[in-house]
Amino acid sequence: MLLNLKNIYKWYNVGGNRTFILKDINFEVQEGEFISIMGPSGSGKSTLLNIIGMLDEPNEGTYNFLHENVFKLKEKQRAQLYKQYIGFVFQQYHLIDELTVYENIETPLIYQDVKTSERKALVADMLDRFNIVGKKDLFPNQLSGGQQQLVGIARALIAKPKLILADEPTGNLNSKQGEEIMQLFKQLNTEGVTIIQVTHSEKNAAYSSHIVNLLDGVIKR
Amino acid sequence: MKNRTVMIKNYFKTAFRNLIYNKGYAFINIAGLAVGIAVCILIFIIIQFQTSFDGFHAKKDRIYRVLSESHRADAGGISYEKNVPFLLPDGLKTAFPQLEQVVPIYASHNDELQILDDNGTPVKNFKEQNGVFYTSPTFFNVFDFPLLSGTYESLKDPNNVLLTKEIAETYFGDWKSAVGKTIKITGYYSMGAGLFQFPATPLKVSGILATIPPSTDFQLKLVIAYGTNFTGDKQYGFQQPNWNQSTPDFGCYVLLPPNISADNFNQQLKGYASKLQSVNQKGSYILQSINAVHHDAQTGNYSSKTISKELINVLWLIATFILLIACVNFINLSTAQAVNRAKEVGVRKVLGSNLLQLQTQFLVETFLVVVSAVVLSILITVLALPYANQLLELSLSFNTFSNPAIILFIFAITIIVTALAGFYPSIVLSRLNPVNTLKSKLKASTTKGVSLRRGLVVFQFVIAQVLIIGTFVILEQMDYFMNQPLGFDKNAIVNIPYRPDSTGNNLTDYLKQKLLLNGVQAVSFNSNSPIEENNNTFTKFKFDHAIKDADFQAITKFVDDDYVPTYKLQLVAGKNLKPSPFTQEFLVNESLVKSLGIKNLEDILNKEISIMGGLIKCPVVGVVKDFNDRSLHHGLAPLLMATNSTMYRQASIKLPTVNIASTMQTIQKIWEQTFPNYVYEYRFLDEKIANFYNQESQLAQLYKICAIIAIFLSCLGLYGLASFMAIQRIKEVGIRKVLGASIANIVYLFSKEFIILISIAFLIATPLASYFMNQWLQNYAYQVTIEWWVFASAGFIALLIALLTVSFQAVKAAVANPVKSLRTE
Repeated sequence: MLLNLKNIYKWYNVGGNRTFILKDINFEVQEGEFISIMGPSGSGKSTLLNIIGMLDEPNEGTYNFLHENVFKLKEKQRAQLYKQYIGFVFQQYHLIDELTVYENIETPLIYQDVKTSERKALVADMLDRFNIVGKKDLFPNQLSGGQQQLVGIARALIAKPKLILADEPTGNLNSKQGEEIMQLFKQLNTEGVTIIQVTHSEKNAAYSSHIVNLLDGVIKR
Repeated sequence: MKNRTVMIKNYFKTAFRNLIYNKGYAFINIAGLAVGIAVCILIFIIIQFQTSFDGFHAKKDRIYRVLSESHRADAGGISYEKNVPFLLPDGLKTAFPQLEQVVPIYASHNDELQILDDNGTPVKNFKEQNGVFYTSPTFFNVFDFPLLSGTYESLKDPNNVLLTKEIAETYFGDWKSAVGKTIKITGYYSMGAGLFQFPATPLKVSGILATIPPSTDFQLKLVIAYGTNFTGDKQYGFQQPNWNQSTPDFGCYVLLPPNISADNFNQQLKGYASKLQSVNQKGSYILQSINAVHHDAQTGNYSSKTISKELINVLWLIATFILLIACVNFINLSTAQAVNRAKEVGVRKVLGSNLLQLQTQFLVETFLVVVSAVVLSILITVLALPYANQLLELSLSFNTFSNPAIILFIFAITIIVTALAGFYPSIVLSRLNPVNTLKSKLKASTTKGVSLRRGLVVFQFVIAQVLIIGTFVILEQMDYFMNQPLGFDKNAIVNIPYRPDSTGNNLTDYLKQKLLLNGVQAVSFNSNSPIEENNNTFTKFKFDHAIKDADFQAITKFVDDDYVPTYKLQLVAGKNLKPSPFTQEFLVNESLVKSLGIKNLEDILNKEISIMGGLIKCPVVGVVKDFNDRSLHHGLAPLLMATNSTMYRQASIKLPTVNIASTMQTIQKIWEQTFPNYVYEYRFLDEKIANFYNQESQLAQLYKICAIIAIFLSCLGLYGLASFMAIQRIKEVGIRKVLGASIANIVYLFSKEFIILISIAFLIATPLASYFMNQWLQNYAYQVTIEWWVFASAGFIALLIALLTVSFQAVKAAVANPVKSLRTE
C-alpha cells in the first residue's frame, strides 16, 4: 500500500456556518495504480489532491504515506517525504518563467542537494527521454503548451518519484497534445509510477485503472 | 464646469478612501516622507539661523570688520586675524575722514563683578566669562541694539555701563531699578604677551539694552564706555602712543559711506598701512563684510561660534539627499502598489477614463499623502527642535509668524515632493493595460519598472553608506583628538582661576604649601594651560640682539618653576626655570629652536630673547620637548615660557589618585578663604581639551543622526521593494516550494538580489566617501588615515540592516502556502 486516507474532513467557516469541502473521505492507493479523481467544479477534487500532495492539511482525519502518519511528522520530515516520493504536474504547467527548460527540470534536484555532475546526467537523461534536447536552452514562453507540459512532467519525474499528482494536466492543451500527454502517463504507469490525476474528461479517465467520483466533498460509490 | 468640480471631488474621495484601505502603505509613505521633510525643515531652520547672523542691522551692507593681514611662519604665508593695534581706530578716523563711523571694541573675559548697595557695601559677586565689551557710542550708530532706557551717548563718559535687560535682572532683580546703580568690576586686560590686572573700578549703570537676539556674534552683556580704566590709560593701557602691536580681543569696525566700495577702500587701506608700518613689517589691513564674519572659522569672532560656508553646503546637500531618499521610497512603494491598483485602473479605463484623468487622480492621491506628511513633519520638527538646540547649542525656534520664509519653504517642499514623488508612479499606474490588468496578468507591464527601482535603491544606499562612512571617519578623528598623546600630563589636573596680588611669590607659596599639605600631588601657577585653543597669545620677539623681529611669532606662557614637573614636561636641553616672581629666564620648545634655524638644541642656551618691545630681555635656560601647545586643529607652534607672578591667572593642581571629591572640597575651602570676594570656579583640563573639539563632536552627532535617518528611510524603501517583489514572485515562490525549496532557499532567493544591489552601492559609496572625508580631514593639522575597516563596517552595517528588512518580507513569502498562489482559477 502506498497511501491511505481515513475520515478526512476539510471545511471552511463562512459567517458562522461550516461549509464542507471534503466530508469523511476514505481512500486507499496501492503502488502502481493509475487513479482518476472526477467530479464537477467545486466538488473538492483539487483540495483532495493537495492533501495527498501534503501541500494542504485537512481539519480532521489521518493520512498514511508509506506507513508513516503524515500529519504526525515534523514539517521537515514531511518536506523530505514529498520531495523524495511525490512529483507534481499542473494544468498551467507552472514553469518558472525566468529559467530555461534545462534549469526548470534541474530545480528539484538542486533542492535535494544532488551533486552537479549527477544533476547533469539526470537532466540529460530526461531531456533525451522526452526528446527535448534541442529545446533545453529555450524559455517557457518560447514553447507551445504541449511542450511546456512535457517539460512540467519531465521536471516532476526528475527526482524519480513513486507518485505523480496531476491536476488537470491536459486542461490547457488541445486534444492531440492532450492525448500525447495521457499516453505518456500510461507509459509511466506501466513502468511502475503511481499516478493520481484530477480530470473533467471521461476520455482521460479512461486511461486510468480506477476512478474516484467526488460530489460535494463526498466520494460516490 | 460643474462636471469638473464633481470630478475633482471624486478624485479626492477615491484618493482618501484608497489611503484608508491601504493603511499600512499609507502609513509607511506618510511616515517616511514626514521624517524626510522634517529633516529638511530642521536643516532649513538651522541654515536660516546661521546665515542670518548680524543681518538685522539696518546698515548691514556697509558694515565692515577690519582684519590684520600678517605673515607667520606656521601659517605658510598670509594669515588674517581680527585683532588690531589700539591706535588703528583713531588712525583710521584721522586718515579717512570719509568713513562714517569707526568703532573700537575690546572684548573682555573672566571679569569679576561686584554689586554694591546704596551705601557702597558689596552685596553679590558675579563672574562673566564673556559678554563684557568696551566700546564707544559709535558702536550703536553702526549696529542696531535698541535701548530700553538711558542713552547711548552716556558711553561717551568713562565709567558708564549699559546692561542688557537679562543681566540687569540677574544683578538687580528688576531692570527698571538698575539704572543709576553701581557695579565694581575687576579683571585683567591683554597687551601683547602680557595679561595685566586693573584695579577694581566702579561703573555706573547708565542704560538698559533690550534683549540681544541670538543671531548676532555680539552677545553683549555689559557694554562699558571706551576710555574707562585701561582703555583710557596713556601710560600702561590702550592709549600708549608708541604701542604698535595688535592685541588679543581688540577689534575695529567701520561703516563705509554708501558711495565707496570695499574693494576701493581696501586699496587705500593698503597704501595707508605701508606708510604706517616700520620697515620689517609686511602686514596690512583689509575690510571684511559683516555678513562674512560668522562664516570665518579661521579668524573667529566674539561669540566664538562660526559655521563655515562649506558646512552649510554640506547641510544643504544632506537635506536634499534625505528628501530624495524619502521621495524614492514613495516612488518605490507606489509603483509596487501598482499590482494592487491594476484592477482599479483596468476598470476605470474600460469605463472610459483617459490617461490624463488617471494621472490626475494619482497625483491628487500623492498630494494628499504629501500634505499629511508635511503636517506630521511640522509636528516632528516642533518636537525635535529642543533636541537640535541642545545638540547644537543653539536657540532656534519654529515660529512661523515671525518667519514667513519657513511657510514659503514648507509650501515649496509640498509642491516639489508631490511632483518628484507623484509624477513617475502616476505615469506607471495610468499606463497599465486594461486587458492585462483585468486578467491579472501583470508581469510584462510592471517588470519594466524594476530596473529603475533597483537603481533608486542603489542610490539610496550610496547616500546611506556615505553618511555612515562619514560618521565613522569623524568619530575616528574625534577619538584621535581625545586619545592622542599630547606630550604632557592631562589627567587629574584641575585648573582654578587665581587672582595675583602685589606680594610677588608670597601668595602662591602660601597656597602651594596649603594645598600640598592637603594631599595634592603637585601645584603650578601659570597664565595658560599647556594646550589652548583661542587663548594663546602670540608675540613678536628679537633673538640674540637682532635688530629685526624674528620672522615668526611665538606663543608666550607665564609659568612658575613647578609647571614642568606638574605637567610632566620633558627637558631636552638645559635646565628648568628657577623660582622667581619676575621674568628672568626663558624656556623654549624644540619647535622654536628649529624655526630659528638652529640645529643643535644646546646652541640656544644662554642666548638672549627680547619681547614686548624690549621691556623683557632674558636668556634661554632650557629647551622642552615639543608638546601640543595648540588644539590639534593646528600644528604645534614655537613657544616661550617664563616666570612672572603678576601674570599668573590660574592654579594647576594635580589631584591625588584617591579621595578626589574630598580634596576638591578642601581646595574650595582654601580658595574661598583666600579670595572671599570672588566666585569659586574650577575646570578639569581633560574636559577643557574635550571642549576644543565641540564643533567636531556636534558634527559627528549630526552625521550620526542623518546616517540613521538615511538608513531608516532607505530600509522603508527596501521594505516596499521587497514586498513588491514578494507579490510579483508569488507564483515562482509557490512553484519552488512545491519542487522542494525550503524556507531558507526562498529567503536566499530574495536576499541575493539585495546583496548585489547593496554591493553596487558600496562600490559607488566607498570612493565618494573617501574623497569627501579626505577633503574634510585636510582641515586638520593632525589627521587619522581612513582605515579599511571603516568602509568594511559601513558596508556590513548597511547590508545587515537591509537583509533584516528584506528577510521579513522574504520569510512571509516563504512560509505562505503555495496552494493559494498556485490555485487554478
